Amino acid sequence: MTSNNIQPSARPNAAAKPSSSALFMSDALTKPLLSAVSILVLLVVWATLSTSGILPQGYLPTPSEISQDFTLLATQGYKGVSLYDHIGISLFRALSGFVLGVLLGVPLGLLTGFTKTGNALVSPIMAFLRPIPPIAFIPMVVLYFGLGETGKVVLIFWTAFNYVHVNAHSGAANVPLAYLRAAKSLGLTRWQQFFRIIFPAAIPQIFTGLRVAMALSWAVVVAAELTGAQEGLGYMISDAALTFRIPTVFIGIAIIGAIGLLLNLAIEYLETRIVHWRGR
Amino acid sequence: MLSYLSLHDVNAPTIAPTGLAHGVHGPSDVRFQDIKKVYGSVRGGAGTVALESFDLSIASGEIFSIVGPTGCGKSTALNLLAGFEATTEGVVAVGGQAIVGPSIDRAVVFQHPSLFPWLSVMDNVTLGQKCRGEPASRYEERARHLLHEVGLRGFEKHYPYQLSGGMQQRVQIARALIGEPRVLLMDEPFGALDSQTRLMMQELLLRLWQGFKPTIFFITHDVGEAIFISDRVVVMTGRPGRVKLSVEVKAPKPRDYSFISSPEFIDLQGTLLQAVHEAAASVYEAQAGGVLK
Ligand SMILES: Nc1ncnc2c1ncn2[C@@H]1O[C@H](COP(=O)(O)OP(=O)(O)O)[C@@H](O)[C@H]1O
Ligand SMILES: [Mg+2]
Repeated sequence: MTSNNIQPSARPNAAAKPSSSALFMSDALTKPLLSAVSILVLLVVWATLSTSGILPQGYLPTPSEISQDFTLLATQGYKGVSLYDHIGISLFRALSGFVLGVLLGVPLGLLTGFTKTGNALVSPIMAFLRPIPPIAFIPMVVLYFGLGETGKVVLIFWTAFNYVHVNAHSGAANVPLAYLRAAKSLGLTRWQQFFRIIFPAAIPQIFTGLRVAMALSWAVVVAAELTGAQEGLGYMISDAALTFRIPTVFIGIAIIGAIGLLLNLAIEYLETRIVHWRGR
Repeated sequence: MLSYLSLHDVNAPTIAPTGLAHGVHGPSDVRFQDIKKVYGSVRGGAGTVALESFDLSIASGEIFSIVGPTGCGKSTALNLLAGFEATTEGVVAVGGQAIVGPSIDRAVVFQHPSLFPWLSVMDNVTLGQKCRGEPASRYEERARHLLHEVGLRGFEKHYPYQLSGGMQQRVQIARALIGEPRVLLMDEPFGALDSQTRLMMQELLLRLWQGFKPTIFFITHDVGEAIFISDRVVVMTGRPGRVKLSVEVKAPKPRDYSFISSPEFIDLQGTLLQAVHEAAASVYEAQAGGVLK
């Protein structure tokens, strides 16, 4: 009994060893393969679940329902607005708020991080504002700016600004002392220190801020469009859900996810191009 | 004690700072005058007295080294001379002028590479000149020549992270020397390098010194390194740091590695090691006593 138990358990172990090291060696090949497999499994599970009839009718659209609805959306649009315009208006709101937030947040963050006065002025306010979720400001923004474009852009701006400012600030405040001392010994003026040392030294941290701010800008624009909008991806999915056009909701969510991914990739691409010294 | 060496035991009852004021090279250039440096308390703890009654004169063009136990205030002394920190009491002066802050007259080579990683080797070396508005035609040729001298020809366009530790320190030295500073400050610049590279860097430093003979203020924990490059070596006491012993190294420069096996080198090494050991032992005893209390 005992010897019988040991042998079979010993064998798979011995067999597993070479195969696991083979897996390790061909890492470059197995990783994308595994990813493809997991996506495939997900698609198969979705197809079987949606066509099996286990779930109530209409809750989980089938692949063919999705593709039919997608063709409809792509050709006819949604509620008189083309799909591209829904995407375009959401992107426009997110990006204009984001760009404004960056244009103001980066220089201001660098300044407040670099100067003692700036630091003392903004640090306590920042510490209070930072943990407030951006969507908590939606009612106030609606109150002040109404339901139009301005309110949405202001909300995104505020969201992006906060994260970009915080990161630029801490990047500037945490520049290694040796860099600043070297710069002073080389005779750099205070402004030269700011532009030639503080700014480049803070760039990696600035990018951390950009990534978070981008993701949040996109999330917040969708949240803002869920209520009080006549166009945009957020409007499309919330309106489609109310009228029980479930495939459209799923397509909208998938598009939102894909665009969020692309925006993140774009920033990561910029980062690897600019911050060539990162982590080295 | 060991009278055949030109020793000056500052621990003796009568401290005679003026006796140190004139090195072999001429009038005093750098002067630490009865310095006290206390670091403020952090989180309610007592402040740290890093230096007390610290008195030192360094002649113009002298290569001067400080050795001593860790935490005795060597870097503190360098930071005061560089103008990075202010004294609590006493004045540090260069050429009779009290120091008020960093200056291009006093170039610094840091222990850890402090090169700017976003700038190429060439841009690192010339940043100071560029910021001073010197025309590129003037400093670029000089930088190229200097990089050639430190053995980095062809690396102008590389970035610091593409270089070894020794090469990065050579870039730092080139960056410090391009402005021909009056004083060159070096805080354990070769501390992180392997011994082969170290010896080559020491020889390189002596060669470069021949160029315009700056005063060099050199910190190291390696007694052999101090003797090899210096005209004078000072041993510091444990904290608060004071000058414990000052010896002159008379061997003519330039020196090569054969100096290491000469009788003078070996004698000095023995004396200095003993002094360093005494200083370190007193630090250790003070700490042990504190624990036992
Ligand atoms: N910025 C600082 N703030 C507080 N204490 C410091 C600071 N710098 C150094 N010290 C203390 O002063 C003493 C001397 O330090 P340092 O000059 O760095 O010694 P060394 O370079 O000889 O090792 C040490 O006890 C150290 O902890
Ligand atoms: Mg030190």
